[in-house]
Amino acid sequence: MSLDKSKTHEVVVAVIGNPNVGKSTLFNVLTGEIAHVANWPGVTVARKEGVRDYMGVRIRFVDLPGVYGLSASSLEEVVSREYVVSGEPDLIVVLADSTTPERTLYLPIQLLELTPNVILVFTKVDEMSRLGIHIHFDRLESILGIPVIPTSATQGLGIRDLLNKIVEFAGGRRFRGDAVKLDYSGLEPFIAEVSEILKSSKAVSNYPIRWVAMRLLEGDLRIEELLNSAGESYILREVQRVREAIRRSVGRDPSELFISTRFNYVHSIVREVVVRVERSRGIEASFEKLLQRPITGPLISVLILFTALLAVFSVNTGFPLTTMLSYFGLDELAGFIETYSLNGLLGMMFSLLADLVSENLSSVNPLITSLIADGIVVGVGAVLSFLPLILMMFTFLAVLEDSGIAPRLAISFHNVLSKFGFSGRAIYPLIVSVGCNVPGVLASRTAIEDEERLEVIAATPFIPCQARLVVVMALVTAFFKSPIAQAMAVASIYLVGIAMFLLTGILIRSVAFKKAEPPELILEVPAIHRPNLKVVWWISWDYTKHFLKKAGIIILSLSVIIWLMLNLGPTGFVVDAELSYGGILSRAITPTLTPFDIVGEDAWKVAFALLHGFIAKEAVLESIALLHGGVSVADALQSLGLSTTQAYSLLLFTTLYVPCLATVATIYQEIRNIKVVLAQITYMIVAAYVIALTAYLILKAAGL
Amino acid sequence: MPQPLTSLPKGSKAKIVGIAAGRGLTYRLMQMGLTPGAEVEIVENSSGPLLILVRGVTVALGRGMAGKILAEPT
Ligand SMILES: Nc1nc2c(ncn2[C@@H]2O[C@H](COP(=O)(O)OP(=O)(O)O)[C@@H](O)[C@H]2O)c(=O)[nH]1
Ligand SMILES: [Mg+2]
Repeated sequence: MSLDKSKTHEVVVAVIGNPNVGKSTLFNVLTGEIAHVANWPGVTVARKEGVRDYMGVRIRFVDLPGVYGLSASSLEEVVSREYVVSGEPDLIVVLADSTTPERTLYLPIQLLELTPNVILVFTKVDEMSRLGIHIHFDRLESILGIPVIPTSATQGLGIRDLLNKIVEFAGGRRFRGDAVKLDYSGLEPFIAEVSEILKSSKAVSNYPIRWVAMRLLEGDLRIEELLNSAGESYILREVQRVREAIRRSVGRDPSELFISTRFNYVHSIVREVVVRVERSRGIEASFEKLLQRPITGPLISVLILFTALLAVFSVNTGFPLTTMLSYFGLDELAGFIETYSLNGLLGMMFSLLADLVSENLSSVNPLITSLIADGIVVGVGAVLSFLPLILMMFTFLAVLEDSGIAPRLAISFHNVLSKFGFSGRAIYPLIVSVGCNVPGVLASRTAIEDEERLEVIAATPFIPCQARLVVVMALVTAFFKSPIAQAMAVASIYLVGIAMFLLTGILIRSVAFKKAEPPELILEVPAIHRPNLKVVWWISWDYTKHFLKKAGIIILSLSVIIWLMLNLGPTGFVVDAELSYGGILSRAITPTLTPFDIVGEDAWKVAFALLHGFIAKEAVLESIALLHGGVSVADALQSLGLSTTQAYSLLLFTTLYVPCLATVATIYQEIRNIKVVLAQITYMIVAAYVIALTAYLILKAAGL
Repeated sequence: MPQPLTSLPKGSKAKIVGIAAGRGLTYRLMQMGLTPGAEVEIVENSSGPLLILVRGVTVALGRGMAGKILAEPT
């Protein structure tokens, strides 16, 4: 392997930095579109790799998770640290933020204590003059003895300098001979004592002894584990004794002293190389203040969210813009917008494709033709027709994130959400899910703790997405006459969905995880600034690609399975849906509809439509229309002979049980535990059923 | 007299004295720059999470969390 490396001149470069330092942006500029995304082994922390050939050297960049330090106290820190010490990377590029050097230089110092093969990159230098910051990079270079490179990924500054330095390193140049050695004054004798003890250890002989000694004094589960499993627990006992001695003589926990000393060192460097001048930041600063105030903050947040969601929805399906236009008598324009909304256009494309397939293949084999036309094209099409929505919701999320508005939303909503076992961060998945549950599930990754992540994944699918809104609108307009009743019906569906989101959170936290305390909120709040379009596009396209690749295969295979259910029966290939396994299954589950007083000849059709809705919620409408011989959805709904109360309970059930194939596929991708996914599906179906039935019985008793 | 951050008024400055939280959280906070001796400024302290300025960065802390951080007003 190492022989190979020298032959082709491959150099492996790990890129590491604090969250929000500008790592993703720089990574994109360095590697372009060739980045390869996977997870780190065993954990759902994304690992991104990209290759850049530069001046005859193949540079393999590995993106490490955003971390504040290398103490291995969180999953991200473990992943990052293990990779840095694994010996796999030849060189570490560590990022510091030019706008916050006081804080972001900590990680580089900690890294330099571990290895001398480091390049320090300053990001966002384009922001410095606006903020009144000046950094003497050359002076810093001579203090640290490593290359210090000012860059701006958005302006393309300093990228070549960085690549050149990497190539120099690959050519054999070393920047400094050994790791940085800070003076821990009072702790030094103790470090020396532990280092002495460690000389007899074999388990940690791959690491620098002084570093391991410091880590053990700070308390490091990973290294303790390493020693334990190698049968060297006597070392741990010795270390424990030394730590006690420190606490007795200094009166503080050693880890506190280590971290303070490092920050003091950073402070002394910053005093020497950073100059700050007061600059007024104008309108952005005023907006920031408004967003931070107790009352205006949440108010503006809600306003921003509402407007943005309306805009996204209108582009996607025309609704609610179309409804407003119709209200003003502009039906033609409304129809036009609906037809040429993204969703309308994609829908046309796929039905055209389905027709094309059936026409050209029908002579070959009706079974295969139907499989392709009605199974694959329709199933995949149903999901793909939501691609624009998914992309737009990601873009929306990316704009919130990039502008610095997102953390302020989390702050505004923290108090409310923490009553339900979430932190304010859960507001992101909640909001995006109103557009589409898929990015909502993925946004669970912003949670700090694993418990909250699972809570978010379990709760998210209850939020009515735009696809469900389409179904809701169709049913509501078919069954409710007055606009006020219609509006109330729609609003109640959203309220129930959000209530289920919240209840699921607190339920899982207190029952499944047995935690009484809500998750803590610790959140860095960057300055508000105009979002960078390039960055926004990268973030949203990245997520969308990820969705297409990962969920695509699952969606395709489930579409085929469902097609088989609907077109195969005991007698083989059937044309009449009633005779298919799906139809038979529908008949078998019709008794569950009896409490809703949905009985008789047409009952199985309702069950069939609900079964079909597992693919995507519009399928509920389509299959009802289909079973009635292709009449309009509204007529078909009417002809089922449901009462308003029945329709409303049906609507509740449809909105709450399992959102769609794509979401289930994404949940599986995130949890990777089929049992948990099945448990979640069961939970959703049961919850939906209980709620729908309760609503029905109450409404019936009320005589509605 | 050291006080929890939550009892410091908006606009005031203080020096961190210590953090009385679990190990993981304490570590996280300290690595974000909230070490003993660090200067903090209270940017916002009403009913919601606290906003503080520490080492040039604004950080939001849930009130529960902020109540576990002790600081000496300066
Ligand atoms: N002005 C400026 N902003 C940048 C630059 N690089 C990144 N950013 C911004 O910094 C924020 C965080 O960037 P991102 O790459 O997502 O950071 P990550 O969390 O480290 O991956 C975003 O708002 C970016 O727009 C840059 O070179 N100049
Ligand atoms: Mg990133």
